[in-house]
Amino acid sequence: MPNVDRRQFLKLVGAGGVGAGAGFMLAESARHPVEHLIPYPVPPEEYSAGIATWYNSVCGMCPAGCGITVRTREGRPKKIEGNPLHPVNEGRLCALGQAGLQVLYNPDRLTGPLQQLGERGSSGFVDATWRGGLDAAAERIDAARNAGNRVVFLSGGVRGHLAALLETFTRELGSGQFLQYEFAHPHALHAANRRLFGIDRLPYYDIANADYVLSFGADFLNNWLSPVNYSLGFGRSRQEGEHRGRFVQVEARMSLSGAAADEWIPARPGTEGVLALALAQQLVANAYAGDDADAWRAALQDYTPERSADITDVPVETIEHLASALVDAGHALAIGGGSAAAHTNGADTLLAVNALNYLLGNVGRRGGMVFNPDPAIGASDTEPASYRAMEQLAADARAGAISVLVVSNANPLFNLPAAADFAGAIAAIPTVISLSSFMDETTALADLVLPSHTYLESWGDDAPDPGVGFTVGAVSQPVVSPLFDTRATGDIVLELGRRLGLGEAMPWPSFEECVKDGWRQLHAAGGEAAGDFDTFWRDVLRSGVWGTDTRAESGVAVPDEVIADIAVPEPQFAGSESDYPFVLQPYLSTGFYDGRGANLPWMQELPDPMTSVVYGSWLEMNPETARELGLRDGDLARVTSGNGAVEVPVVVYPAIRPDVVAMPIGQGHAGLGRYAENRGANPIELLAPSVDTRSGALATGATRVSVAGTGRRAEAVKIGGESRELGRNIIQRTGTSGSAGHSARLNSIPIVVESS
Amino acid sequence: MNIFERFVAGWRKYRKPGYYDDFDYHWTMTIDLDRCTGCSACVTACQAENNIPIVGEKELARGREMQWIRIERYWEGEYPNAKLNFIPMLCQHCDAAPCETVCPVSATYHNQDGLNAQVYNRCIGTRSCAVYCPYEVRYFNYYNHHWPTPLEQQLNPDVTVREKGVMEKCTFCIQRIRQAKDHAKDDGGRRVRDGEVQPACVQSCPTEALTFGDRDDPESKVAEKMRDPRAYRVLEDLNTDPSIVYLKKA
Repeated sequence: MPNVDRRQFLKLVGAGGVGAGAGFMLAESARHPVEHLIPYPVPPEEYSAGIATWYNSVCGMCPAGCGITVRTREGRPKKIEGNPLHPVNEGRLCALGQAGLQVLYNPDRLTGPLQQLGERGSSGFVDATWRGGLDAAAERIDAARNAGNRVVFLSGGVRGHLAALLETFTRELGSGQFLQYEFAHPHALHAANRRLFGIDRLPYYDIANADYVLSFGADFLNNWLSPVNYSLGFGRSRQEGEHRGRFVQVEARMSLSGAAADEWIPARPGTEGVLALALAQQLVANAYAGDDADAWRAALQDYTPERSADITDVPVETIEHLASALVDAGHALAIGGGSAAAHTNGADTLLAVNALNYLLGNVGRRGGMVFNPDPAIGASDTEPASYRAMEQLAADARAGAISVLVVSNANPLFNLPAAADFAGAIAAIPTVISLSSFMDETTALADLVLPSHTYLESWGDDAPDPGVGFTVGAVSQPVVSPLFDTRATGDIVLELGRRLGLGEAMPWPSFEECVKDGWRQLHAAGGEAAGDFDTFWRDVLRSGVWGTDTRAESGVAVPDEVIADIAVPEPQFAGSESDYPFVLQPYLSTGFYDGRGANLPWMQELPDPMTSVVYGSWLEMNPETARELGLRDGDLARVTSGNGAVEVPVVVYPAIRPDVVAMPIGQGHAGLGRYAENRGANPIELLAPSVDTRSGALATGATRVSVAGTGRRAEAVKIGGESRELGRNIIQRTGTSGSAGHSARLNSIPIVVESS
Repeated sequence: MNIFERFVAGWRKYRKPGYYDDFDYHWTMTIDLDRCTGCSACVTACQAENNIPIVGEKELARGREMQWIRIERYWEGEYPNAKLNFIPMLCQHCDAAPCETVCPVSATYHNQDGLNAQVYNRCIGTRSCAVYCPYEVRYFNYYNHHWPTPLEQQLNPDVTVREKGVMEKCTFCIQRIRQAKDHAKDDGGRRVRDGEVQPACVQSCPTEALTFGDRDDPESKVAEKMRDPRAYRVLEDLNTDPSIVYLKKA
């Protein structure tokens, strides 16, 4: 017998036996290549085949810090849901949070360390080993340290013990500097809280118990600060209170939150604060009875409804009815941020909104705003870097003051305007090391890439900010063993520390031990009553969250000199009104946040809620404006600012001021893998380097642009059909006629069957 | 009873007037439009749970989207009084479903739980059901879809990956319902408790706009919401008798 093994033999028999069907069979087998099943002789303890295991952890997709629970099967995560025990999101999760799986399983993840052998930015990356990579990194950092040159660790927003570790690392280096850059960090809100209340924390907004919410520009149901928490509150305020909560949104372009509002007020961009002060003046005149009423009256005397109406383009009647609604409501709450804070007077605007809360007696009260306590874990002294700080960093780099830049989980090249010339700054830094999991724009310019785990593969912990008004800590545990040859950011830093002789300050063998050690101290603070640590740790891991559950009610006082100084200056826009007639409002998109979600195919295919566009960028424009410019939906328009130009299709948008155009942030990547690359345009590039004067944050809404047709068409891909109901009565409102749900079955046509 | 008699008995049971009141459970979803913000968390939840493919820009431009739940948006009025209204649209699991009667191979049928179910193995891709569906919630696989490695590791092992030529649509996460019923059966043969099973969309909804349960249980949350005077059903005059009840916007 010829030498045929069993597998080949079966194949031969199969081919012979099927005969006429063989062609079909072969086509099938070509589609599904043979895979080998190798059973576990001894399966790992944690799982039994066919039964899902759930792990609690912390979402890493945006700074809100929601708790997640990950369903795994056979050691592989299959679905991310909200952790029902976590007080921030109570089991719910937004679209981007659920798409975290595609960060883990992304086909464009970096699978191991890389070294750039060619010129920077070229395709000369070759595979390296961890040992070689870490040695090289430590050597460069050591050389810089010995020469007294600066080593900068630039990270995205980071909290908990990782923040503490990075701080220790850079401090111990001597010449180190730790910077966090988070594009959407609420610098202006921090500045406003500091100035008015002397508190540098974010408040918890008790929307659930408010029955009238007045929001100035904050897209709190979409992606502002802690959207899932606010959405929960919104739903409860609407339908679970004694009477239905009302909600009013003030903004120049209707956001997702604006669409949910009962009333949408398109104030002139940058004047939202003036409207808040006009309302404050009405409150002081009609309702406020505090000791400092006279001081407020004097400070607000200029903000009459008439003058404010001129400035804000909001009619006097609207101002008056808003003011009386605020007075009449049991629990009125004002929140501000987002587009209202994106101007040169951003912090002043939020100061005015805060003043409204103060006058309503809201601070520290149910249905109002409660300041969060200091975080229980990893309290960091490092304030996130504002745009001003990043400009300084770039200037220092260009001056040759920085020798080594380590970038982790941040993409400044995408998230900073072209005007900042961060690429030029990087070119002047001799060594750039990236710890990114993806080949993003910044990583492409690195000399050395030491890819870190995704958040689903790493240990970590978190104190959500803004929290829920009481102490909450959460542990993030790996839910899967690492897919590739990557390492946790904390472990990379610990390894570098060991090589640089910083072992004394960072004695932990792994980052897991570092986190555990921190929680050991937290546990020890609980004293005898806390029981033994191992039980406590197991319980924390199981529930994923730890903390108290009572909000301390407290009042605040505002110093008279701050009251006397209250005013909202005129916003400054870059570019003249004659050359650049429109104010550009870039906004964080639902799926991509600040651009980090663009490599996730689910997010690319998630229709934008307001326009239903997928896979692209667009320019939103009032129908009237479009008509004047001779542009139709789907025409390719050229948007030009003093700092650059992009070409995007026009989407005619019925709810935007005629003098404002808007673009979503997130697309326009040059890197980040196959799903993100070369798709759409990045509006951040166009922005002038204007900052909010008080906080130094980038004033993203302070750039004027001109719009011109290119004569070409490039329709944005939209999902769904007609954008109007055309009398089909699909969405019904109370008070409108429509057939009642429960009587419907009586109307059904009966099915007649002969009985036999 | 031999197989033939069982078949006849079953046939009789399901061809009596009002047969749909005899379901084991009558799964129903209520969607509160006054709470829905259009945030689309449900869309991604469904996509993750049900192995819904990535179809790509080109196919989307040809109207071949696959997401089983979508957010429909309708503008009302003009600036400055423009309003945008959202409505999540998914298979309505009609008790008198137009799609069921037109399928030449009975690939779509009504099951004992009041669900409009789709048998992928039976479907021959005539697409008649999609034509007859007034809610436009049936999706056809024009291609075999691929998940570039390692994205395929995300696929939910409890849900079939559909091949080309097959119609698909919302199942009310039937795999979760089956699991809950199995669990209840093992747990002393009790009935599934209210809230014990939630489709992925309902589970994720950040504003708690979606509720799911057995409408035949008068104590259930959905039954309570259906008694709300705001309750209505979309395109009710078509007499499709949907299992999705919307609550009007205020």
